[in-house]
Amino acid sequence: MATTVLTPTTTRARSGLYDWLTTTDHKKIGILYLTSSFIFFLIGGILALLVRTELAQPGLQFMGEASYNQFFTMHASVMLFLFVIPMLAGFGNYVVPLMIGAPDMAFPRINALSFWLLPLAGTIMMLGFFLGGSAAEGWTSYSPLANAKYSPGVGTDLWIVGLILIGTSSILGGINFLVTIFKMRAPGMTMFRLPILVWTILVTSVLVVLGTPVLTSALIMLFIDRNYGGSFFDPANGGNALLWQNVFWFYSHPAVYIMILPGMGIVSEIIPVFSRKPLFGYKAFVFATCAIGALGFSVWAHHMFTTGSVYLPFFSFMTFLIAVPTGVKFFNWIATMWKGKIEFSAAMLFAIGFLTMFLIGGINGAFSASVPVDFAINSTYWIVAHIHYVLFGGSVFAIFGGLFYWFPKMFGVKLNETLGKIQFVIMFVGFNLTFFPMHELGLMGMPRRIADYSPAAGWTDLNLVATIGSFIVAISVLPFLWNVFVSLRSGERVGDDPWEANTLEWATTSPPPPYNFDRLPEIHSERPVFDERHGRSLPASGH
Amino acid sequence: MTAGANALTAVPETGEDILDVSFLADEHARSGISNPVLGMILFIASEVMFFAGLFAAYFNIRSAAPVWPPTGNIEFDLHPHLAIAGFLTIMLVTSSVTCQLGLWAIRRGDRTGLVRAFTITIVLGVLFLAGQLYDYSTLGFGINDGPFGSTFYTLTGFHGAHVFAGLLMLGVILYRGTAGQFSARHHDAVEAASLYWHFVDVVWICLFSLLYILG
Amino acid sequence: MTKFAQGMRRGLPVMALAAVAVVLVAACGTGVTVLQPPPAASTQGKATETLYQVVFIIGAVVFFLVEGLILFASVRYRRRKDDDGTLPPQIHGSNVLEVIWTIIPIAIVAGLFIFSWQTLNTVDAVSPSPQLKVEITGFQWEWQFTYPDQGITIVGLPDKHPELVVPVDQTIQVSLQSRDVIHGFYVPAFLFKRDAIPGKTNVFDFTPSEIGTFSGQCTQFCGLKHWDMRFDVRVVSAADFAAWAAQAKATPTPAPPSPSPAGSAGPAPSGAAQPVPLGLTAQNIAYDKTDLSAPVNTPIQLTFVNNDPGIPHNVSIHKDTPAGEAVFTGDIVTGVTTKVYDIPALPAGTYAFVCSVHPSMVGTLTVR
Ligand code: HEA
Ligand code: HEA
Ligand code: CUA
Ligand SMILES: [Cu+2]
Repeated sequence: MATTVLTPTTTRARSGLYDWLTTTDHKKIGILYLTSSFIFFLIGGILALLVRTELAQPGLQFMGEASYNQFFTMHASVMLFLFVIPMLAGFGNYVVPLMIGAPDMAFPRINALSFWLLPLAGTIMMLGFFLGGSAAEGWTSYSPLANAKYSPGVGTDLWIVGLILIGTSSILGGINFLVTIFKMRAPGMTMFRLPILVWTILVTSVLVVLGTPVLTSALIMLFIDRNYGGSFFDPANGGNALLWQNVFWFYSHPAVYIMILPGMGIVSEIIPVFSRKPLFGYKAFVFATCAIGALGFSVWAHHMFTTGSVYLPFFSFMTFLIAVPTGVKFFNWIATMWKGKIEFSAAMLFAIGFLTMFLIGGINGAFSASVPVDFAINSTYWIVAHIHYVLFGGSVFAIFGGLFYWFPKMFGVKLNETLGKIQFVIMFVGFNLTFFPMHELGLMGMPRRIADYSPAAGWTDLNLVATIGSFIVAISVLPFLWNVFVSLRSGERVGDDPWEANTLEWATTSPPPPYNFDRLPEIHSERPVFDERHGRSLPASGH
Repeated sequence: MTAGANALTAVPETGEDILDVSFLADEHARSGISNPVLGMILFIASEVMFFAGLFAAYFNIRSAAPVWPPTGNIEFDLHPHLAIAGFLTIMLVTSSVTCQLGLWAIRRGDRTGLVRAFTITIVLGVLFLAGQLYDYSTLGFGINDGPFGSTFYTLTGFHGAHVFAGLLMLGVILYRGTAGQFSARHHDAVEAASLYWHFVDVVWICLFSLLYILG
Repeated sequence: MTKFAQGMRRGLPVMALAAVAVVLVAACGTGVTVLQPPPAASTQGKATETLYQVVFIIGAVVFFLVEGLILFASVRYRRRKDDDGTLPPQIHGSNVLEVIWTIIPIAIVAGLFIFSWQTLNTVDAVSPSPQLKVEITGFQWEWQFTYPDQGITIVGLPDKHPELVVPVDQTIQVSLQSRDVIHGFYVPAFLFKRDAIPGKTNVFDFTPSEIGTFSGQCTQFCGLKHWDMRFDVRVVSAADFAAWAAQAKATPTPAPPSPSPAGSAGPAPSGAAQPVPLGLTAQNIAYDKTDLSAPVNTPIQLTFVNNDPGIPHNVSIHKDTPAGEAVFTGDIVTGVTTKVYDIPALPAGTYAFVCSVHPSMVGTLTVR
């Protein structure tokens, strides 16, 4: 039952392209974010396919090692900084003001600036490919390798500039989210009634505001080393090689939670709706999210176990501890599904895909927390498996879930469910085929970031399997592209609240009017739309 | 119909250009700190972390160096520059005071007080930057002269850049102030700019103590 | 139906555990080596291997349990065809459960942490009196192994990766360094790696426990030829080691054919022509010139300056391309050094000169 009266929405003051280029409406900016990030996903994916093609067999058949190194570096840089982080920020942009009953973000123009910095930064970063080679030091860009002496060429400088711009975009976005969440909530929307997605965006924003500037400072020092004869990172000039790792990971470990927390938030919205139950342990989710954020700042040196220069037991313990709040979330998700009436929509399938796959990524990450085990698996394909189980099995599955879930809100039409299910199955199979064998490769001793390997090493078969898998993943993206195309043209028109959902964004029209709400339901719990649909008489226990 | 919904009926149709739409939110959210001021506080928090990164680098490199400042044919001692740096410090601290006086003035609704105080603040800030450039010109080392040179110029240079940004902010406030855009009730931008200016001041005091006094 | 659900709820953990047990026992019983590291070939590696098994089993139990719960819930609580449209019970949470599933993981990770720490102390222990000392230095993109007490140095070359020869069952202490960027010393069979970091020496011990040859490879990304920065560890008996050491000492640094006895190779008609002087400098892993030319049938005296501190370079000359037949191979010298090569007279043609250590350093020598 729809909860709003359908009112013909806006009279558009402006129209067309100009409108999209100059908009300060959080919903349009959100869609811009999602679109541009998805394009970068395709670019990053094509780079990954190039990497996989080269690795399918021993020998350098398709490219020299110089190109290979550029491709895997840019693959990761694009996927992390131009796809996952902005994609999740895009969801935040679209959904957060709607979820808290606000008319827009707190600073709409700064919001537009945050977005437009991204395509600019992306272009600058990719420009390297056309100017004698992009950055090729890995996304971690360890110094002194990244210094001018060992990595001459403008590609790395462009990478640095691009990343500083992306960082600035993130920081401005984070501040905007925080002010919006703290100051713009509708009457009755107390902090403990915020949807979990909003909580995860809140904690993510704190991580961004406190972590990203440290990356900026590191990048600036690297830039000075490279271009103005600075001596921060090269021991040959009195610098310290490990300084880079410390500052880089001080940001980049929290960054991995920047890349997963909103994904967890998305899943926490989808699971209750399609289980027809409230989220089990709402407050536990809030505390667990905060705990992950806080612990996230105290584990950065688990990326430096093999340097022999950090106090291993401390960082090992803190890293292990992160499993606890994450586990709490897992058990609460399962308890939410428990005794529900689960409907396997495409969104729910991706959410379950998230649960099953992120679990593997979390557990194989916990292997690394055990320092001696990390000595064995560090910098091998085991770590590549970890990266992708958390980021693809986690973040990307959550992102697709979110796209299926909010598409009807954004465009008033559903994505085709059948195509969605086909996509899910192909993607799930391809994903596991690509990345599961990498555990075994890692244990066998295959290091990451190698352009070639010896046929005698015995890694050929599993690499071939992984390459085949990666092309299956690529194929699974095609039904999605087709799905978006046909659905926008002739998708099934649905009401304002097609999923019978819980949160405030479903109380307005689909798509919502410029300032979001013509009327707001009363907010007495974290499920205002559910309350309005069913009345507040339903028995509620616990909480 | 709730209070929030009532407030929403006042939405202007072409309101897309309005920078601050917080007036749309309910009164309860508007109580306390205003959006621009909260935004500025968060921005300053991020700036603190930015400088924390640079300071961490400084301490890390310094603690690893056998002697500090390094000895050799280049003279790295900053103590001879204590006098000029001290003078710069006094100017910047004074400018913080005048900035605060300007803020207090506008809180009382005293527009000329604001304009007068901010003019002095800006003049002091410009003098600070000029003095810093002069100090640079008398130093016998450059940014490429080893870790001392790189850390010194990076720290003070980025501080200088922040002073410059602060001056731009103060300039905008001054311009808007002379145009009479602020009042006792409506001066969030002044609050935000003055917070930023104080922050820049505090960073300098840290730098001054660390680089010039401690040496 | 509710009865069934209750039954399931009670039965489920038991079933899940049973399933896990069956899988694990089956795996151990048949000696299946799914997701197992290679059998450890050092005592330290054996400790890590044991730890790995523990982490693996606990990880597997957690995995099967949680994955089982997710799948069970998905299947058991799916919406049925005959669903009456009513809402399931709206349960918001349970503090007891929250406490339980916070405490149990804490206990598990605390246990894992303590066991890891103990193993770490074994693996990281450094002996005050090792039986053999080796200095290992990484550089782009090879390794150098020095036995200070035996006076042996082995340097890898692009076409011949170096071999670290060590006696079995002796404690070997490695001092690990780098001359340029960060590298990683990794031997999968030892389940161990450590970074080679410029400006820092890392010390660790290993005690090989099996005779055999084990491959190793650089694991910290170090630029263009990172993938090719390989080496072998050959573990031999103590007697074989002594024999090898004596022999290795007798044939000092196995650099390629040395040109020092002037005119010993090549067709230079001795004294026929005065050598022509040429100069070439290596700096920042690059030659200062990419084109050289020399007169035909005249010996060349090449003054080669290596300006890269701590980094080895040389000049070797090949017919036509760097892959062509070598007509001259200069000694590898570590910077900062100047070396004079006497190059025998060459017939007219085009030659490529290249650094044997850094294949990206190339140029053309034209002899007319
Ligand atoms: C979304 C991104 C993301 C996320 C969420 C994580 C999550 C975790 N990561 Fe991961 N990590 C990366 C992205 C991410 N990581 C990337 C990109 C790298 C490589 C960087 C590079 O070098 O390029 C990396 C590398 C990396 C390393 C360094 C490895 C090395 O280089 O040697 C380590 C070491 O400890 C680590 C650990 C962990 C741990 C313990 C978690 C934990 O948060 C996981 C916690 C979750 C669970 C454990 C599962 C659920 C819990 C339960 C069901 C409870 C019961 C469980 C137990 C009792 C174990 N990660
Ligand atoms: C969100 C992050 C993310 C995502 C989504 C991915 C996705 C993929 N990644 Fe990536 N990866 C990283 C983050 C990510 N990766 C990181 C951080 C590293 C570490 C880098 C480093 O060491 O510095 C890494 C490294 C990495 C490596 C190791 C490289 C090395 O160490 O040498 C490999 C190798 O197989 C790989 C493969 C893949 C593949 C096959 C996919 C696929 O799943 C991609 C799927 C997408 C597509 C395929 C594109 C879309 C499809 C089309 C355009 C359709 C049309 C095309 C066809 C039909 C052909 N990745
Ligand atoms: Cu040396 Cu990688
Ligand atoms: Cu991490």
